[in-house]
Amino acid sequence: MAKIGVFVCHCGENIASMVDTSKLVHAIGEHPGVTVASEYKYFCSDPGQETVKKAIRENGLTGVVVAACSPRMHEQTFRKACAEAGLNPYMLELANIREQCSWVHTDKDEATGKAIEITRSLVEKVKRNNDLKPISVPVTRRAMVIGGGVAGIQAALDIAAAGREVVLVEREPSIGGHMAQLSETFPTLDCSQCILTPRMVEAVQHPNITVMTYSEVEEVDGYIGNFTVKVRRKARYVRMETCTGCGDCIQKCPVKKIPSNFECGLGNRKAIYTPFAQAVPNVPVIDREHCLYFKTGKCKICEKSCQIDSIDFDQQDRIETIEVGAIVVATGFQVQDTAMYGEYGYGRYKDVVTGLHFERLASASGPTSGKILRPSDGKEPETVVFIQCAGSRDASKGMKYCSKICCMYTAKHAMLYAHKVHHGKSQIFYMDIRAAGKGYDEFTRRAIEEDEAGYIRGRVSKVFEENGKLIVRGADTLLGRPVEVVADMVVLATAMVPQSDAKDFAKRIGIGYDEYGFYNEAHLKLRPVETATAGIYLCGACQSPKDIPDSVAQASAAAAKVLGLFSKEQLEREPVIASVTDATCAGCWGCVIACPYNAIDRKDITDRNGNVVKRVASVNPGLCQGCGTCVTFCRSNSIDLAGFTEKQIFAEVMAL
Amino acid sequence: MGIQEQYRKEAAELLSSGAVKLVIGYGEGTTADRRRPVFIRSAEYVGRLVLDANCVANLSAYLVQEGLLSDGKKVAAFLKPEGIRSMNILAAEAQLDPEQVVILGFDIEAGQATSLSGRNASDFTALIGSLKASGLSPELQKEADRLEHMGSADRFEYWKAQFSKCIKCYACRQVCPMCYCRRCIVDVNQPQWINTSSHTLGNFEWNIIRAFHLAGRCVACGGCDRSCPVNIPLRLINHRMAKEALDTFGHFAGESADQKPVLATFRQDDPETFIL
Amino acid sequence: MSESFEPKIVAFVCTYCTYAGADLAGTSRMKYASNVRIVRLPCTGRISPMFILKALQKGADGVLVSGCHPGDCHFAQGNYHARRRWTVFRALLAFTGIPEERIKFSWISAAEGAKFTELINGITGQIRALGPFEQYQELQTVIETQSTY
Repeated sequence: MAKIGVFVCHCGENIASMVDTSKLVHAIGEHPGVTVASEYKYFCSDPGQETVKKAIRENGLTGVVVAACSPRMHEQTFRKACAEAGLNPYMLELANIREQCSWVHTDKDEATGKAIEITRSLVEKVKRNNDLKPISVPVTRRAMVIGGGVAGIQAALDIAAAGREVVLVEREPSIGGHMAQLSETFPTLDCSQCILTPRMVEAVQHPNITVMTYSEVEEVDGYIGNFTVKVRRKARYVRMETCTGCGDCIQKCPVKKIPSNFECGLGNRKAIYTPFAQAVPNVPVIDREHCLYFKTGKCKICEKSCQIDSIDFDQQDRIETIEVGAIVVATGFQVQDTAMYGEYGYGRYKDVVTGLHFERLASASGPTSGKILRPSDGKEPETVVFIQCAGSRDASKGMKYCSKICCMYTAKHAMLYAHKVHHGKSQIFYMDIRAAGKGYDEFTRRAIEEDEAGYIRGRVSKVFEENGKLIVRGADTLLGRPVEVVADMVVLATAMVPQSDAKDFAKRIGIGYDEYGFYNEAHLKLRPVETATAGIYLCGACQSPKDIPDSVAQASAAAAKVLGLFSKEQLEREPVIASVTDATCAGCWGCVIACPYNAIDRKDITDRNGNVVKRVASVNPGLCQGCGTCVTFCRSNSIDLAGFTEKQIFAEVMAL
Repeated sequence: MGIQEQYRKEAAELLSSGAVKLVIGYGEGTTADRRRPVFIRSAEYVGRLVLDANCVANLSAYLVQEGLLSDGKKVAAFLKPEGIRSMNILAAEAQLDPEQVVILGFDIEAGQATSLSGRNASDFTALIGSLKASGLSPELQKEADRLEHMGSADRFEYWKAQFSKCIKCYACRQVCPMCYCRRCIVDVNQPQWINTSSHTLGNFEWNIIRAFHLAGRCVACGGCDRSCPVNIPLRLINHRMAKEALDTFGHFAGESADQKPVLATFRQDDPETFIL
Repeated sequence: MSESFEPKIVAFVCTYCTYAGADLAGTSRMKYASNVRIVRLPCTGRISPMFILKALQKGADGVLVSGCHPGDCHFAQGNYHARRRWTVFRALLAFTGIPEERIKFSWISAAEGAKFTELINGITGQIRALGPFEQYQELQTVIETQSTY
């Protein structure tokens, strides 16, 4: 039998001046099931709360309705009071007679009538409330960071610095990502390697960080605090444990002319290689596809040259299973394939290159040792044309977004070119100069004013070759006339696009992505580093195009989220979650499809002999966020949402 | 050879070869123009199968009889295009595995049963796609138009009169291939969302919610309409829902066996002109 | 219709946006008609068509269903699912003669206290003009007479 206590708060004059509280107390006191009804000036005050607690204890109340302010204001306060008096804190409802009644109405009779109805309907609801317990989910306090670029490294270092274990997974043979390929970085022009390499070394040497290079995440199972990740450790054919990185094997390898990905094809590598000299770990891998031994069964020169017997041609890929509590996705980006811009001659003319090529040309550790030499004949270009937005902000090519970094790196390229080729002339075709960021506008102004970068506002329609020169034809929209520039080299500021396998990967780990394949954050403004899947976080350019400062900032933010999650051994969650009635579930899986959190699985129901008799939906309490979309979908009413059950809402509505 | 003979022969082959364990078809009914379902388990009885223009019932409902397909064996069923569509929905809603159903497809044109080629659900995709354009029969369309042009008060009176006849016999639910729930919403009594006694309010609620549950799922086989002992034009209301799903969301019920439910999915740019 | 008719309006709202918007109207001391009764749900995704029918049964002359703007749902997608259901259910109600003017849908954010105020006043005025939803309420009286045998 329900024993409900109703406590009507005056909130000073805030409620009492517009609602006849005595009338409310009297009316509700008559309502079936209401054992106690009283009023007080401030129930949220200490004596007010004491009154509630005393009433609970003395009357053995089974439910409490506080008619006062919004539950968004004091629900927690009164839940706590209930709990202290021995009543389950979820046996409480707040009737909002202040924000949604006394403050917004001007007729006391009307307001009083409304307050009575609101309170009555919540009395009916609270009669049907159930004891709920916060859900405790154990947390494995180890994180996985997927992607070893600057964002991943930063996230890993921050988590490790707080004393938590991190597994950093990178699919290339070395960590470092795209940043390792860059020459100098805007807006400070400090050398990219100089600032990145120490962090790479720090990561690999940190006692809390396990770096898994040449490894890929195959599968993610589980939920927040309890993920099981399968990682494919690709065979390196070199023993990590013993290799000293002396490089003898690389020196001796006879297969020489393999275009290096790291050098964007401008330089070559061997069949056994490290992607770049400062690779971390400094342990080479054998490229099976090109290795003579794997191709012909003969060679093994590397094995013979190795003084410590670290070559192992028998290594196999192996799958390692790792338990983690949180995952940071930092899988980065790739440079758009410029083949879609046939009019710019990329791929046809050797001297039409991408921004990333230019980085390698300008890099002191690059194939030209930092000299700007054009790929076709190795000569120093006298005139370089830079084309911005080559792939970005072009709806006709399906790329509506701004890649964000190109304005800045193009200005940087023009500066580097001016510093290295003093008589060189740069011409930059641009749509707008977007230089929002600390020191960014100053930087582009410097490129224009000190390094004489020539900016032409307009698009390029065509690049073609004539008499050994590249002719860049475009429009100068400020002067309103066509222009033609004779260039020795053309640099396309190509768009940042998601990794080619970004969508597949997202499906594998269970996160959302946008039309391009950039990963979706849970809320663009308020939850920018979380995904909709609890426990999986984002940082860096896998979420959207980003420069280094933004990637690093987001990485630290993601690390803070992970550390927040790891601050307790158990994760406590509001018990407002859905549950399924197995007996009536028809297994149509509509709820499984509708759930925004992939929180509903299929569960086998077996007979006593273990035979599967049917399959029903099953809500994972670790993942369910309590929206109730599944409840509304379910035709047979086989799912319900704790705290807002069908019975509760029915009673609430029927009492109005 | 007439279509009936051809299909009898085929049924006999399917049964005697062991390709299927059961053929669900039509047999003679209680009157000359009525057909009722027959369940043939042996080739020697295929002579009981009848196939003519009176074979109107959607037999796909029998495919989800509890336990029928749980042994993994195949079953053949006589299905008209709308039956194939409802079978697709049942597959999409995980109630059956389309691999287990051999379709003996047919249609009725100009008072004659005609055969459809293809035996698997996926063979009929093009045919089903072509049905999108077809609407109600001219006479029902006229009634639908008349209703659409009424004022809402008159429309309310129309349905009130119709629903007041309902005796809550649930024949509509029983015949419907889509009503496979183990427990129907109307049978939920904690809380009692729908008043079960057959007064008009409860009848209103029942028929509205049933139509809502069929939105994007009804294939207009007409089973509910025919089975209703008090002749409530249920087809009109279900057609209105189908029209909404098609016009607004481009969803044609039962287009394929892996179609996502229209009300469990969304597009960010779904129209919303009515939302203030 | 008598001059003194005051409609009863039931609003089903999500707690994160519209409920918070209604609270904001209160904290800003905006004034609106007292005819609305708010039922708080976690998300528009939780608002079942059954709720609307039950509100009508209990004598509501109008119903408002409201939640977060598209893209702002606390639960990311709940309002998108809700929008589809509303589209279909609204068509169904209209087809059975329950006037569209009585069942309203809106997006009201936590910042839109003013919009909430205007909407409630607007709807109350419109429904006051429409008069009581006697047609539906008569179905209810049938229950009462029938169930007394």
